[in-house]
This record gives sequence, structure tokens and C-alpha cells, in this order.
Amino acid sequence: MWTLPVLILAVTFALAVPIGLFMAWIFDGRYRAPAWLGGLERRIDTGPQDWKDYAIAMLVFNVAIFIVGFLVLVLQPWLPLNPDGKKMLAPTMIFNTVCSFLSNTNLQHYSGEVHLSYFSQLFFICWKQFITPVIGLCALVAIIRGLRGDRDMGNFYLDLWRGVVYLFLPLATIVAVLLIAGGSPMTLEGNAKVATLETGVMGAAPDGSANPQEIARGPVAAVVAIKQLGTNGGGFFGANSAHPFENPNPYTNFLTCMCIILVPVSTLVMFGRMLKDYRQAGVIFAVMLVLSATTIIWAVSFDSAQPNPALIAHEAESFKIPDLAAETGERDVPWPAVAGLPVDQQLGNLEGKELRFGTAAGPTWAALTTNSSNGSVNAMHDSLNPLAGLTPMTGMWLNCIWGGVGVGFINFFIYLVIGVFLAGMMVGRTPEYLGKKVEGREMKLAMLALLIHPLMILGPTGVFAATDWGNKSTNNPGAHGFSEILYEFTSSSANNGSGFEGLADTYGFNDNPTPAPFAPQWDIACGLVMLISRFVPIIAPLAIAGSLAAKKPTPFTAGTLRTDTLTFGMFLLGTILLVGALLFLPAAVLGPVAEHWGPIPFGW
Amino acid sequence: MLKHVRATLLLEALTLVICAVIYPAFLLGVGKLLFPSQAEGSLIDKSGKPVTNPDEAVGSSLIGQTFADEAHFQTRPSATSPGYNAAASAATNWGANNPLLRDRVARIIGPIAKYADGPQKGQPVGPDVEKWFQQDLVGGKEKGIVAAWAKNYPTLATNWVKSDPLITEFVAGWMKEHADAVAKFKSEHDGAEPQPPDMAGDFFESFVKTSPGAWPSIQEEKAADGTATKSVKPVTTGSDIQTYFFDMWLQEHADAKLEKVPADMVMASGSGLDPHITLKNAEYQTDRVAAAWAARTKQDEGKIKKEIQELLKQKADSIMGGKIRTWIVNVLEVNLALEDKFGSQVVSDK
Repeated sequence: MWTLPVLILAVTFALAVPIGLFMAWIFDGRYRAPAWLGGLERRIDTGPQDWKDYAIAMLVFNVAIFIVGFLVLVLQPWLPLNPDGKKMLAPTMIFNTVCSFLSNTNLQHYSGEVHLSYFSQLFFICWKQFITPVIGLCALVAIIRGLRGDRDMGNFYLDLWRGVVYLFLPLATIVAVLLIAGGSPMTLEGNAKVATLETGVMGAAPDGSANPQEIARGPVAAVVAIKQLGTNGGGFFGANSAHPFENPNPYTNFLTCMCIILVPVSTLVMFGRMLKDYRQAGVIFAVMLVLSATTIIWAVSFDSAQPNPALIAHEAESFKIPDLAAETGERDVPWPAVAGLPVDQQLGNLEGKELRFGTAAGPTWAALTTNSSNGSVNAMHDSLNPLAGLTPMTGMWLNCIWGGVGVGFINFFIYLVIGVFLAGMMVGRTPEYLGKKVEGREMKLAMLALLIHPLMILGPTGVFAATDWGNKSTNNPGAHGFSEILYEFTSSSANNGSGFEGLADTYGFNDNPTPAPFAPQWDIACGLVMLISRFVPIIAPLAIAGSLAAKKPTPFTAGTLRTDTLTFGMFLLGTILLVGALLFLPAAVLGPVAEHWGPIPFGW
Repeated sequence: MLKHVRATLLLEALTLVICAVIYPAFLLGVGKLLFPSQAEGSLIDKSGKPVTNPDEAVGSSLIGQTFADEAHFQTRPSATSPGYNAAASAATNWGANNPLLRDRVARIIGPIAKYADGPQKGQPVGPDVEKWFQQDLVGGKEKGIVAAWAKNYPTLATNWVKSDPLITEFVAGWMKEHADAVAKFKSEHDGAEPQPPDMAGDFFESFVKTSPGAWPSIQEEKAADGTATKSVKPVTTGSDIQTYFFDMWLQEHADAKLEKVPADMVMASGSGLDPHITLKNAEYQTDRVAAAWAARTKQDEGKIKKEIQELLKQKADSIMGGKIRTWIVNVLEVNLALEDKFGSQVVSDK
């Protein structure tokens, strides 16, 4: 059971070293591009930028991809490569999808094989999954340049070009070829209609002839490779990496699961290399590894090593619930004992799991995909055992374990600034990071970046849970229904994109007569949350780095608080856990923890 | 600002060409040249050989199918609609506390459950469930099992109304005859028009009065000219009783020792298209499959069973001896192999 997660982590770390060094090499511009590429680069490079200029370039570029993305989706019915005749999506769903893929969240209220043409898959999904992670990476590279005191922060356009062409393009090509070899389709042919072995199992057509099995396919491998590498997660199919065409066998599962955290881990090596300070990077790596391993162990223990509690016996219980009419203010609700169903659950909870990947593959993936901001799934998170479902949520609440490409590290940087500040206050010294004083202005910006996350999660969750928008959209009762709402906003705000997918948030095509009743509300609320939670936590740290870069370095003395030691690592871990727990523990108790304590089944 | 706009447009155009045209085009080429079968969706024909033309195929080796025939191994429950619809993958997304999850599992187990111990070891539980149902005593005391079921498990009653268009229609018909119940619902719900599933509770309240001790089940009747018509009729026996009332029976017989069924037989997959079942699941189904082929080929059941077990051993596959993944078999491939092995030996009755 533990072999798979250990192997995945070990191989990823080994590969991350050369890739991280390579990243530092390209972003420091120490390569010599061949003449024709060099000419292109010179045309793209608009010259050195300070943090404001860099941020403006990033915003202009994002506005432009928003517009292009919008056009591609709106024009879908009239564009080519549409063999199965996909129609126009509902306007709110287009808005949601454009925000989602702009912010590298890749939350999907649509279902890939049902709603998108191959043109949209390639010119919208595939393209955006290449460039949006690089935008996060650019921001990180600029921050590193600011931290090491470079005169300028580099050039956004040039950085983006380097990230797309030199880093992600070769990596994605290799992974995609391996995926095709493993069984992922790569074709522009429409759905394959095959006669099944037993005639008539797919129902009958109006003329009485047996329906064929219609098998959706398309340019799957191209999309899946970049979706995994770029911490994107926007799958080709509705079932994401649980779909046999996205993830045909245990070897592709191993490969794509590794890809989830490959580039995020590599950015740590890049950070160490660019700063010429591997100890700093090492401390950060250690903290992230402890958190990541904890979430994996937690998820596997509660999901693969435990049966699904829906089927086991439960003793009779009595629950106290608040009741204003009663004298004591509460009343007892007795709950009868439940007999166990005769099911052999040796392999753990199999609901929502595919068999081919291996026993612990689902929970391991669930942990890694939410440690990072990937959000692809190879098992349905909604059907994880109650406490195992806490792992993906915790990963997204903290949102700094490995993290998204670039932005994960940036989120961690916020915690670093706060950690340094707290530690500095405790020992009574002006806090410093990398020889630069952290003062009021930096702290205000850090708090803004930190607090936007809980605000964007807990605020909308409260509104939706209190109204029909939320509680008429859940497909599970009680505490689990609340978890579905909480998860959706957590995933949106963490720019993750995974979901407790039972939530009814799909409108479908614009002419769909029976959309989910509150789909427009979900589309718009999640869309806004994704945008705000993407750009505030990128721009504020850029501003911090810009302001730190402008400061004179203070000399390193015996009294300097060292940030590259085990002690500081432990302190940082404590800071992250304390802040995270204070913000999200009440919500966790109302959702997964309450579901775990029962009753199960709830409200028969 | 103009500088930014120019750079942005140039970069967008370049990345669009690279990421959405050159990159997929290269991969399409790789697929066509090096992996033609995989690139088209791993389609296979009746002999299990890869083909690229869907017209020659019986399915994809990566995508499961529904198998209803007794002589075939059956795939896992699927949440797509209809089952194993590969044009729209889907999962149940049911959490552990969802009564529908437990109910689905109980309804699958009901008709196949067997005693694991005691004098009835190996015997099916189903007939006992039917006998218990016919006595119509809740907890051995109170009359009215169906009434108690509808009252204690309202979610399941609602779900039953939705389970088949015929049943929904039947309840809608009942609503037309019971305007008073509909009016009562309206007055309690601000005048909202009730749908058939909303009326499940009222329906059963009235059904148990007109047909005490019976269950409304879809029955097929053959007319003299051979045309079959389906309608909802009150019954006291049959598979519907074993399906719907197994769990309620179990609550009263919590200490009955029953044979455990493999979990993947009752738990739905994430995509709704899982092509595999565990070897244990296949072994559990072997008796049924062997009996069906023995009857069709008029051969000894023991011999056929051995041959099938041999076949399963050949087809089963694990990773690191089960350390990473347990033993599983591809259902379509195994069923094709069964057809290949026994299909030609089938003896026609005439």
C-alpha cells in the first residue's frame, strides 16, 4: 500500500534536481539560442522592467488571453474541428470557464467530452494550460530577482516565452508520447460508434435497432500531458484522470501523478540555484515534505486502509441537537443501530475508484493534486471516506505545499515573511529575510495576500450554505452536503480546480431545457473568486519583492535571525499550521469531521 | 502601453501556433506512425485483435461495457446513463453518509446473497427474504412492511419513484386519481405543483391500504399474439422483493452470517467506464458463468468451471505481486475469450 506513494515521491525528487537547474539556467538567460530563435526573442523582449512594469505586462497579457479565450468558446459552433457538432455553451458557463482557465484553476463546470469541440480543447484548453502556469512561474522568477537584489525584475514577455518554449513544450511532448504509447487517444476523428458484444445493452433507437456504444475520443494525450505538468488539472473528459483514455494503466498513472508535483518541486531547486543558497531552499523543501507526507499518510490511512463506512455496521446512538422549544435548549435524537452489509472491503473504499491504478493510487493522487494546485483527480473526491476527504481540503486551505507552478512558492513566500516577522518580534529584533528588513509596508501586503484566501472561501460558503443556491445544489445530505459547498469555494480560491463533483453546477449548452437550477449563481460566484484569489496573491508579493529589492542589505551578524536552520523550519511549520488551523478548523468540523461521527447513513 | 499591447499580441500569436497547432500536430503524427491503434482509442474486434475502423470493432479494450448475459462476466456498477456510456463519463459522487449509496449496494447484494455458515450454508438468502415479506410483520410484531419501509426510508421511496419511467408514470396516474393528496401537498408548499417523486410518501400510504402486504413491481405480460407489455402490478414474490427488502430484512437479522461479496462488484467506478474487475470478483461469478455455458454446450459443469478458472489465471494481471495493485482482469477481453472458447460448442435445443 505504501510502495506507490514512496516511489512516486522518490522518483519526482530525483528528476526535479536536473529540471530545476535547467530552469535556473534558462531564466537567468545563460543559454545561447540558435540564430532564428534568438531573433524572435529579441522581438519579444521589451527591455528590463521594475515590479510595476512587470505586473502591468502580466495584466495586459491576461486581459488579452481572457478575450481570446472568450471568443474561442463563444464561436465554438462555427469553428472547425467539431466532428460531433457541439453547440454554444451557456453564457455564465463560458464566463466561468474563461476565468477558470485564465487563473490556472481549471475548475470545470462543463464536461469535456460532452460540451467542447476539438478546436476548443486545443485552442482554449491546451493553449491556456501551457501559458497560465508559466505566468505564475514568471511572477516567481521576478520575485527571486527582487530578493537577490537585481537592478530590474527581468522582462515578463521574455520570461513567458522561455517558460513555454524551453521548459513546458519539451516536457509535455515527452509525457504526451509516453501517454499515447500507454493508450491515450490522439486523433481528430469523432466519437467511435461500436457494436457491443451483447446487442442492445445501450438501449434501442426509435426505429428499434440496437444503439451502439459511442466512445468519445480526440486529441487526448496532448491535453492530458500539459494538464498534469502545468498544475492545471483541466481534463479532456468529465471524469478527468479517472477516465481510461486519460489514464489507461498503472504506468501512465505513475507518470502523470509524478508530473503533478514535478515542476513545483523543481522550482525549489531553481530558487536555491538562482539565489546561490541551497540551505534556504532546503529548509523550505523540508517543511513542504513534512506537510505533504502527512496529507498522503492521512488520506491513504483513512481511505485505502479503511472500509467505506456506508456499508459497515453502526451501533445505536443518540445525538443532541439544538432545539429552542425545549427547556434545556437541546433535544435527543435517537438513531437505531445499522447492520453491516456483507461486503469484502479489503481493498478499502472502492466507490469512485478505478481498479487499474492500484490500491493507494486514489488517495495519494488526491493528496498531491491538492498539495499542488493541480486539481486533476483519478478517483472521485466526493466519494472519499469522510476523514480522507479532509486531506484535499487541508491541502488547498494551506495552499503552499509544493503549490502551483510558481504561485505555490509565492504563497509559501507569504508564510515566510509572516514567519520571519513573528520570529523577529519574539526575539525582539527587526525581522529580516535574506538580509533585507521586513517592515510595516511588507507586512501589510503579506496580510492582504494571506487573508484574501480565507475570505474568498468562508464568505461565499456561508452565503451559499445559508440559501437555496447552495443547499438545493448538493447531491449528498447533511454534513457532506456542506462539504460540497465548502470544497467548491476552497478549490476556486486555491486555484485548484478539483471538486466534490456531486454539486449541481452545470448549465450545459445554452439551449439546455433542464440546467442545474442554480448553475448561473455558481458560475459567477466561482468565476469571481478564482480571479480575485489569483491576482491579489500574485501582485502583492511582487510588490513586497519590489520594495525589498530597493532596500540596502543589512550586514549578517551574530544577532541575525537565521532562516536556513532546522529551528526556523520548525517555527515555519508551526506558523503555517497555526494560521491554517485558526482559519479553517471550524469549517472542517462542520463538514468532514461531523460526517465521520455520523449518523451514517444520514436521513435515510 | 502600446509597447505592451504589441508584445502581448505577438506573444499570443506565437504561443497559439506553437501550443495549439504545432504541438498537437506533431503528436498526431507520432500517433499515426508509431501507435496507430492506441491513437484511435484501442479498438478491438471479436478475436481481440486491435483494429482502427469502428465498424469492425466490438469495443475498446480500455472501456468497459454492460454485460447482462448469465454466461458473461459482469462489469462494475456504472453511474453513466445508460450504464457504460462512453460518450459521457460520470461517477455517483455519493458520500459515505448518502443513503442512496448503501441502498444501491444492498439492492445488488439482495438477489445474490448466500449464507456463509449454519445449516443453510451456501443457500441463497433471497427466498427467506420473500418468506419474511409475505408474513408482513415488522420486527415480528407489527403488520405492514411496505408501509414501514416507505415511512422509515423516505429517500429510498422517492428514489424508487424515479427509478423507471413506468413507475413514475404509474405514480403520476395515481396522482390524477387522488386530487385531495395533491391539493394537500400544494397547501403545504405555497402552492407548488408536486412532481411524482414528491408524492412517494402519500402514494405508499394509499397503496398499502388498497394492496396490503404487496409491492408495486414492473411485470411483463405476454399477450396471445406474443407481444409483451409491461405494467406495474402488486406482487408478493419475485426479485423485486429480494432487491428492495434485503436491507430491511438484514436489519432484523443482523446476526445472520452471510458470504461477503467482493467490494468492486457493488461499488461504482470513478469514470463509470472501468473495464476491469478484480480476480476475486471474477472468481465469485465463475459458478454462474460456468453453469450457463454448461447448459448451453450440454457439457459437464465441473470441467467447464476448471477451464474458466484456467482462463482467468491466464488473463489476470497485477503489479509487483499485489504490492501496488491487486489482481484484476479485463472483462471484455475475458468475455471475448469465453465466446471464442465455448461459443462454437453451443448445442441448439432444436
